[in-house]
Amino acid sequence: MMPARALEGLLLVVFALLPLALQPFWVIFVTRVLILALLALSFDLVWGFAGIMSFGQALFFGAAGYVVALLARDAGVTSVFVVLPAALAVGLALAFLVASFLLLGRHPPSITFVALGTLTGSYAGDRLARGWYYLGGQNGIPSIPPMTAGPAQVSEGVTYYYLALAFLIAVYAACRFLVGSQFGLALAGIRINEARMAFFGYSVQLLKAVVFSVAGAIAGIAGGLYAFHEGFVWPNMLGVILSTQIVLYALFGGVGTLIGAVIGVIAIEIVSFVLADAYPTVWPVILGVLLLVVILFRPSGLISLFVPRRIPGEVDGAA
Amino acid sequence: MSDKSGLRDSASGMTRRRFLGSAAWTTGAIATGAGSWAIRPAWGAATGPIKVGIATDLTGAIGYAGNANANIAKLAMKEINAKGGILGRPIELYIEDTASNEATAVANVRKLIQRDKVDVVFGGITSSMRNAIKDVIVTRGRTLYIYPQLYEGKECTPYIFCTGPTPAQQCDEFIPWLMKNGGKRFALPSANYVWPHVLNQYARKVIEGNGGEVIFEEYYPLDQVEYSATVNKIMTNKVDVVFNTVIPPGVGPFFKQLYEAGFTKRGGRLSCVYYDENTLNINAPHEIEGLASCLDYFRAVTKDEPGSARIQAEYDKQFPGNIVFAAGSAATGMYRGLKLWQAAVTEARSVDREAVAKALDHAKISEGPGGPAEMVPGKRHCKMRMYTAVAKQGTYDIVARSKGLVDPKEC
Repeated sequence: MMPARALEGLLLVVFALLPLALQPFWVIFVTRVLILALLALSFDLVWGFAGIMSFGQALFFGAAGYVVALLARDAGVTSVFVVLPAALAVGLALAFLVASFLLLGRHPPSITFVALGTLTGSYAGDRLARGWYYLGGQNGIPSIPPMTAGPAQVSEGVTYYYLALAFLIAVYAACRFLVGSQFGLALAGIRINEARMAFFGYSVQLLKAVVFSVAGAIAGIAGGLYAFHEGFVWPNMLGVILSTQIVLYALFGGVGTLIGAVIGVIAIEIVSFVLADAYPTVWPVILGVLLLVVILFRPSGLISLFVPRRIPGEVDGAA
Repeated sequence: MSDKSGLRDSASGMTRRRFLGSAAWTTGAIATGAGSWAIRPAWGAATGPIKVGIATDLTGAIGYAGNANANIAKLAMKEINAKGGILGRPIELYIEDTASNEATAVANVRKLIQRDKVDVVFGGITSSMRNAIKDVIVTRGRTLYIYPQLYEGKECTPYIFCTGPTPAQQCDEFIPWLMKNGGKRFALPSANYVWPHVLNQYARKVIEGNGGEVIFEEYYPLDQVEYSATVNKIMTNKVDVVFNTVIPPGVGPFFKQLYEAGFTKRGGRLSCVYYDENTLNINAPHEIEGLASCLDYFRAVTKDEPGSARIQAEYDKQFPGNIVFAAGSAATGMYRGLKLWQAAVTEARSVDREAVAKALDHAKISEGPGGPAEMVPGKRHCKMRMYTAVAKQGTYDIVARSKGLVDPKEC
């Protein structure tokens, strides 16, 4: 058992040194994990800290992925200094649009309404991409050229690894700062007793819309990184399956802790990898059972194995 | 520890274990499982085996097709190794699951390229899967890629070779046959995705070029299961031939409703070019009696094609059960591709990508599912025999066969 801060520090050191010890294949594997960890963080921010059940984080991830893929395909723009800000902007704008529709109505929405609303958004995005031939329809957009930084290529491997890691650390630190700030305390208040916070004079829905948009921006960055790393985008990237997977990452690791989301991604991706190797015909079933078992018997996630109690000043998991 | 069939523990398996042991406690129990999914030949050679990667959908929505692909690849591997391998080296299969999910697929195909360093990759069934994995294999991975499925054509990326039928191969002989054995008024009900759009474009050209007429060409959502409006349109417009590209799950109810409306009773001809022995079971036999399909292989071909009969018999012996060897799900293209590649490596006397691609460009085989096949030089697509078959009480009857090898007309 160790305190959460020590766990964060340990992971930081491990990730920083990992490429020195790994073969190229593993560096690329872990890069993908880092990018997905960004995505899981975005979900943990809205659900774990603001109590907004977003079943549609993949919408922002996928939309940003498609936009950067189009930039690369049709405009020939692959510069990291353009595509990643663009991805961030797409995630932010789209999330704000969804938030203003779902959260900023006349009456405060219920959790179910928001969950189904975001799920619908994700589903609609998937269907739109499937039916729109400019976006490649069902087949998506393949063969995205490598990302560039000036004359240099940011190709998969160690360079891309550190790019993704830098973003993960920056976003993680920003999230940490955010949830520890006055704004974060207000969010915690909203999650625990929304009516009382409204009574105190906070514009509860506006605060929620802000955090939802920030999370959308994070998912957008992840989408931009993912599209260039994997080299293609396709409709499922916007869809319900990925949206659900993001929820699982966070639940598996432990919600409302930030680090739990990262641990969830690492654990699920590694377990999938091993299972797919060992039991190629039944591995998804085994993975499903495993997820179910952990979520049933460890409702506060894997993190509860490392961190025994609630951390002072920290808020607890899915209440 | 490795037995003759060869599931094994290898050095790379051990490092993976060690990595996991230290990184994730959850995997402790699992890591004692069956070991990695490489199928080793029973003998080695000085230069080591040739590594063949198979990436196919073993799990997920089209798992039935992927498993047939893996089975036929194992069969071909045994055949090749039993005859001394290629260039005196045995071949070794590395099978990865693409899970009917493109994101998982990219991660798993990377294992083949970057970890296992295979010499060639076969696989992918849907076009979206091919698009997802081709970059990892060909551009970033600098490895040869062979795609085995019937598809809409237009894949002209260098180092990708296609060994399944194209629209030209499925239409050029089939549509004139349909006109003679159905009529001139065609309806093109379709699922809304890339393959039907591109196939119909070609089919329309052939229909109109032969003096036929397309009454309507409509696209429905992939999960639509209610087709009474379409059926009504077919009946009232006196359509002679339904050239269907609606796919499961919609295709079952569609054919049923069409049958109940009396389309076949009044002499209408149902046709569907992806229909093989797998899809035959979707409807009750009487509902699709007379359905015509055109593919590179049907089980019925084995009656008078000894090469096909041998492969089919061998498959049935090694893989009894409900994963059948059929053309609609890439299994025939997989076998054909493996044999063509074998011929190319033999000619090139090397597994180097450039050399093999150069030889594969004009590779030929005299025996395969449905008969001989040869690559069209410069086109990276494959000439093959095509068969027209009609469903009769739950099986197929071959009613027409191409005179020679049909040109894919691609690239």
